[in-house]
Amino acid sequence: MNITEFLFNILIFPGFLFLLALALGLDWLDRKLIARFQGRVGPPWYQPWADLLKLFAKEDILPAGTNVVFTSLLPLLSFASVMTALFYIPIAFRRVPSFQGDFIVIMFLLSVPSLLYFLAGWATKGVYSIIGGNRSLLQYFSYEVLFLLAISGTIITSNSWSIEGIRQAQFEQGAFILPQIFGFLLALSGLIGKLKRGPLDIPKANSEVIAGPLTEFSGKKLALWILTNELQTVAGLSLLIYCYFGNLWQMNKLSGFLIFSVLLVLMQCLLSAISAMYARLRIDQLIRLNWYLLIPLSLLHNLYLIIK
Amino acid sequence: MKKILNHLRTFIYLLPNITSVFFSKAETIKYPQEPSNYSSGFRGSVRINQQNCVGCNACVRDCPVSALQLIKVSKESFSLIHQQDLCTYCGQCQLSCKFNAIYLDNTYNQPSADRKNFRVVLLKKGKL
Amino acid sequence: MSRMVIPIGPQHPLLKEPLSFLLTLEGETVMDSSMRLGYVHRGIEKLAEQRTYVQNVVLTERICGICSHIHTTTYCQAVESLLGLEVPQRGLYIRTLMCELERIHSHLLWMGVLAKNIGLDTIFMYTWRDREIILNVMEEISGGRVSHAVNTIGGVRNDLTKDQMNMLKESLALLRKRVEELLRSIEKERSFKIRTQKVGYLSLDDIKRYCVVGPVARASGMDIDLRRDAPYAVYDQLDFEVPLMFEGDVWARSKIRVLEAVQSIHICEQIINAIPQGPVSVKAPRRVPAGEVVSRSEAPRGEVVYYVRSDGSQNPMRLKVRTPTLTNLVTLPKQLKGLQMADVSVVIAGADLCIACGDR
Ligand code: SF4
Ligand code: SF4
Repeated sequence: MNITEFLFNILIFPGFLFLLALALGLDWLDRKLIARFQGRVGPPWYQPWADLLKLFAKEDILPAGTNVVFTSLLPLLSFASVMTALFYIPIAFRRVPSFQGDFIVIMFLLSVPSLLYFLAGWATKGVYSIIGGNRSLLQYFSYEVLFLLAISGTIITSNSWSIEGIRQAQFEQGAFILPQIFGFLLALSGLIGKLKRGPLDIPKANSEVIAGPLTEFSGKKLALWILTNELQTVAGLSLLIYCYFGNLWQMNKLSGFLIFSVLLVLMQCLLSAISAMYARLRIDQLIRLNWYLLIPLSLLHNLYLIIK
Repeated sequence: MKKILNHLRTFIYLLPNITSVFFSKAETIKYPQEPSNYSSGFRGSVRINQQNCVGCNACVRDCPVSALQLIKVSKESFSLIHQQDLCTYCGQCQLSCKFNAIYLDNTYNQPSADRKNFRVVLLKKGKL
Repeated sequence: MSRMVIPIGPQHPLLKEPLSFLLTLEGETVMDSSMRLGYVHRGIEKLAEQRTYVQNVVLTERICGICSHIHTTTYCQAVESLLGLEVPQRGLYIRTLMCELERIHSHLLWMGVLAKNIGLDTIFMYTWRDREIILNVMEEISGGRVSHAVNTIGGVRNDLTKDQMNMLKESLALLRKRVEELLRSIEKERSFKIRTQKVGYLSLDDIKRYCVVGPVARASGMDIDLRRDAPYAVYDQLDFEVPLMFEGDVWARSKIRVLEAVQSIHICEQIINAIPQGPVSVKAPRRVPAGEVVSRSEAPRGEVVYYVRSDGSQNPMRLKVRTPTLTNLVTLPKQLKGLQMADVSVVIAGADLCIACGDR
């Protein structure tokens, strides 16, 4: 592999620019869908790009007394960890290194931004940021667990700890979506909590804590945070597609890419519809719902899968 | 059975609403751009029927924001000035005028950066 | 756990108008709250003393942006009774029609604000979409979307034409469908109920102690409505119900407002059918005989009281306005105590504050 091909791979096609386009495309789709659900027109396709560009061009202001290095590091680190996680998720025909246990690595890398998000609340010292940060930590402890438990149903059935392994198992046993529809729904709700969107956007509820931990961020840092969240959506959704619809497409084929995209769009529709349909829950209601109902359910589900 | 279904429906109550709205036309109006149409009663600017006005001062007295000004030299020569930036377009002057002279219609002025443009001499009679 | 003081307002996404709360939080629980008013005090009562009665019609319309018509109605009623004027029936009917349209508009607007505050943007968009129907009708009738300038001392300014009546009829039919759908949504939609039920509870005793008025009082089982108890305009000729609920929480308040909107549509339909022919106003003299008068009416948020004293000149000697917001506002510290931080937005929205009314 020569250097130009290497750079091309990293920066343009399977790498950075492609992921950026995918993430912003999904973001646009989300906004457009929610707008249509609410009877509005919605933004044109380039709106997320324009927003991002504008944020990058804006002046960067932080409240006095915050540690500049620390607060700059937070969005960078979370961005980096999501990008690394995406490096291990084979989106459509991107070839990636696959090994036993890469699933765990991805889960870890995807949960790093949530922790950093909490730190961001404390680092910027605003009262709203601190409350938002506390809430995000509470939410992290409930929804991370749910997501992991629910999605590990596929690990149990496929007996493999790698994404590729789970996918291969579905070629033999059929897609997991039908036998494990229950687990899929649980994982989806876990994902919504993880992405802090829809009815579970408690840490950044704007009628209470303005923008939560991100209240004091502006300019490039805010842009990075937003980008992180969008990339996280791509990562989470592709993970779900891999774990539950793994056998529907072939690697390295145009048709495979198309089917994958269609699935991605459908999942995004589901997320948008959910966030349009429900009111935001309160943090204590969320935790009660999660620990009393959803997590026991996912445990039972896993138990059933193990016994079977 | 029906009870259970109704109960389950409450979990996704808004789903039929959002799907039907999704497939109908957006409610956003004037976007990208549509010509605006005013209601018949829209009060856009203050006008005057030149020949009817006798300079009786009734409209000036009743204007709640003193947007009208009457400069009167004699019975024949006077002028009525309307300060558009003060006016609230309430229509009180039209109501107060007994001679059907001053009235509001639904045309309107373009915005301007200069205050002078808002001072409109509605009428000028005789020598001032 | 350490305490934290967080400011809500004067500028905060939760508030549409400037009002300031200082909440002392322990974790997520509100331990204490203090309130500061007066950010939009404009001295309207004092200003009214320097203006003539006719000019004050326009001034009182500026007290509130949402219920502008009810303020002029109450003021005109006061002056008319001082003058001993008999307003023609058609004028009174049009006045009542505008009052009821405004009530629907105000309740829908409020519903949207509450839905927005609990993160249910879809309902927010739907109610504000439906509110647009009302605004169009009101603009068609009066020429203004917010400041209608319909009232004048001695009657109303605008007459209703045939076309306007037809448009009104069509719009009301559409609106009735939409509002009934909204009613079903707030009765059934689970997340909405979870967030609003058992929040901001006020018992009947609290209502009496704080003299709360309007839908907030009716949601706690207090059966007051001036339209029925002390009819003004043409309410004594109309047939309507006053909805009553006993839960006393924000959900009951929202339901009662939507029920009232349904009733208002019913009233409007009656008015269109029953409106008599004739003149809409009578000429009012400029000078008002000496005396004092209290005029009351039922605004969308509750009882509005106007007190006017005249010394026989062109200007009122004293004009006193009591708006429903102020009485409902004082219950907030009680409602807020012990709440979760997330419920603060629900409770503040639930009281339906109109700060511009309260501060004047
Ligand atoms: S419309 Fe009202 S504010 Fe304007 S000039 Fe006439 S009376 Fe004065
Ligand atoms: S416009 Fe009418 S009220 Fe005003 S000065 Fe002329 S005649 Fe009098």
